[in-house]
Amino acid sequence: MSEFKALIEAVTKGDISKAVAETQKAIDAGGFIQAIIDEGLIAAMDEVGDNFSKGTIFVPQMLRSAKTMQECMKLLEPLLKEGDTSSKGKVIIGTVKGDLHDIGKNLVAMMMEGAGFTVTDLGVDVSPEKFVQKAQEVEPDIVAISALLSTTMPAMPQTIEALQKAGIRDKVKVIIGGAPVTAKYAQEIKADSYGADAGSAVTEAKKLMGIS
Amino acid sequence: MKQIGIPTLQPRLKVLNREQALAIHTAALEILEKIGFKMEHPRALQLLSDAGCRVSNGERVKLPSYLAEKAIKSAPKQITLYDQRGNKAMPLVNGNSFYGTGSDATFTLDLETGQRRRSTLRDVANFARLVDGLDNIAFNMSMANPEDAPIENIYVFAFAEMVKNTNKPIVFIADSGRDMAKIYEIACVVAGSEEELQGKPFLLSYSEAISPLRFPENVMERLIFCAEKRIPICFPSGSNAGGGAPVTLAGAMALGIAENLVGLVVHQLVGEGSPFLFGPNVSALDMRSAVVSYGCPEWSLTQAALADMRDEIYGLPIWAYAGASDAKVMDAQAGSEAMFSIVTALLSRSNLIHDVGFLEYGSTSSLEMVTMADELVAMSRSFVEGIPVNDETLALEAIERVANTDTNSIFLMDDHTFEHFMQAHFLPKLLDRSRYDSWEAAGSTDLYTRCNSEAKRILSQNQVECKPDDVLKGIDKILQRL
Ligand code: B12
Repeated sequence: MSEFKALIEAVTKGDISKAVAETQKAIDAGGFIQAIIDEGLIAAMDEVGDNFSKGTIFVPQMLRSAKTMQECMKLLEPLLKEGDTSSKGKVIIGTVKGDLHDIGKNLVAMMMEGAGFTVTDLGVDVSPEKFVQKAQEVEPDIVAISALLSTTMPAMPQTIEALQKAGIRDKVKVIIGGAPVTAKYAQEIKADSYGADAGSAVTEAKKLMGIS
Repeated sequence: MKQIGIPTLQPRLKVLNREQALAIHTAALEILEKIGFKMEHPRALQLLSDAGCRVSNGERVKLPSYLAEKAIKSAPKQITLYDQRGNKAMPLVNGNSFYGTGSDATFTLDLETGQRRRSTLRDVANFARLVDGLDNIAFNMSMANPEDAPIENIYVFAFAEMVKNTNKPIVFIADSGRDMAKIYEIACVVAGSEEELQGKPFLLSYSEAISPLRFPENVMERLIFCAEKRIPICFPSGSNAGGGAPVTLAGAMALGIAENLVGLVVHQLVGEGSPFLFGPNVSALDMRSAVVSYGCPEWSLTQAALADMRDEIYGLPIWAYAGASDAKVMDAQAGSEAMFSIVTALLSRSNLIHDVGFLEYGSTSSLEMVTMADELVAMSRSFVEGIPVNDETLALEAIERVANTDTNSIFLMDDHTFEHFMQAHFLPKLLDRSRYDSWEAAGSTDLYTRCNSEAKRILSQNQVECKPDDVLKGIDKILQRL
């Protein structure tokens, strides 16, 4: 039985004030910060993810748990020592040039944050150049690209090409998604991965980082 | 003296009372006046500012209510769409309802193999020809985002394919002012001239604002083009409950209506009296799959509510959806979701009703689904006709006749039946009521199979009246010059 039982329960229920109080309690008791994160918060979010896959909870409940975790992280982050990581990896995400759909992209971003990634959201109508510029600035592990229109899908290979030209293609993993996108298309344009929805976006991102 | 007859009640669904309608309208005005919106088109921004809006930080706009009220008054209460031969086809006014297909499905269910595959220009043509041959489907949309059309001109090619394959009115999509102008050029060739097209428009532009409260440049470009050229336009935003808009339907409607009103105000400032079809798309974001549903009761409920608001407040014809489904194949779910939205759209007197024939929340189209919907619309119409009550329909004479003849007489043999059965009953063509043995003898088919055969029959037999040679040449010239 985990020593963080109460914290885990508060996060899975999305009870922000209780979870924050439990986090504070664990800090005051002198627990290892990394342990509170891994065995408390992340363990809770794994359970939430499982419940969602099983269909026992709905999207807003999952997002509320993610938000609860983030509130707890605010207390923990300043206490992290050099070498400890609060992040599973850095992600930049955006909707491609010419495309203004963002609901799906936002959901993917939130879910990735909930799973412990550090996400920089570039918004919509993001040109290949902007993806490159931000990639150079943020040095992400993963570049996540969304497109909802068949007419804007070609901007995905263009973005990958731009990363190539800038010499950073092999420093990042590229994951793509959006309604008209398929696994086959991801292969064709030499993306590293594809996610059909926000849940699989997280699973795939973890695989890309070699965690699961 | 001839007596005044008994009026027929034709069932009409009401889902809002006047207080509810006014409260949602007021909330929409409050959103525009207090929260404001982002206008990214310079000319539209200037127009709004000149008209009395407050502009801050370059593009944040707050719009006083009187401007919205004024635009509602100046937009025409009736929009009439003509067919491509110039005949009056769709008077969008009061409680008139017209059904049609949807646009841009990425995939289609192949008529021969039943497999889901990427859609092509050939599919655009097939849907147009099918629609042309169906009595209860009044207008046509592309139903496909064709893989084989050049991507930068995809909407121009889809439009050309539609006019070549149907003479019914067309609701079309464009991406920017540029392809919009090309589509307009083709439409002028079809109508004969710009003047003839404006006098008898056969097309309506489907353009969308971005929820929440964002108005990108290319979207406004299309709106302004239509306002200037007096091409009818609708401007629904994607204010789906839980995604682009609040999860509660009242708030989602208020936001969607607010976004629509911004479009309407700019539209009327550019072209006072130009035709504008009112209404947002207020569907629901499914809370399990995060899919915007095309088969949920919420969408039917919000558009019934919009019809009530039209009657109470706006007086403008409205935009709606029906006959679609989230099912992946044309199964029982597809049938029930399609019927639910079709009958409620008619019961609430929605005006222009699109998306008929969509599966998989708008990602896949199906010719069989459109064929089935044609029958479901007919069934709904016969229900909404109500029960006319008069001497003929009360049929006391027939009752007396049958009652007074020999004991084994039934009404089936009476002349009254012969004279009235066609109007008195709905006579299905595809819904099967045959006895078991004859159903079995005919191949034990289900509705999907029968719709498949019927779609094939129409595609092979229905002759779509061909456009004159010079028109076809004119269209091809425009395509070649793209
Ligand atoms: C809402 C909506 C809009 C809204 C968008 C509002 C907004 N703020 O985003 C508005 C009204 C503005 C809009 C506009 C248009 N739209 Co639109 N829209 C939709 C709709 C109904 C739902 C999309 C949505 O938000 N779904 C909910 C989210 C949660 O799901 P999602 O986006 O699919 O994202 C999930 C997955 O795809 C995946 N995912 C997404 N991104 C990523 C990224 C990564 C890295 C990964 C791993 C996964 C991933 O995970 C997400 C979460 O589970 C769809 C139809 C549909 N039912 O899907 C049409 C649809 C996408 N639109 C379409 C079209 C054509 C348009 C317009 C061109 C129409 C017009 N007349 O102008 C414009 C284009 C504007 C532009 N330039 O971008 C077509 C596209 C067809 C095609 N093949 O190209 C569709 C399919 C509808 C249709 N059948 O016609 N639209």
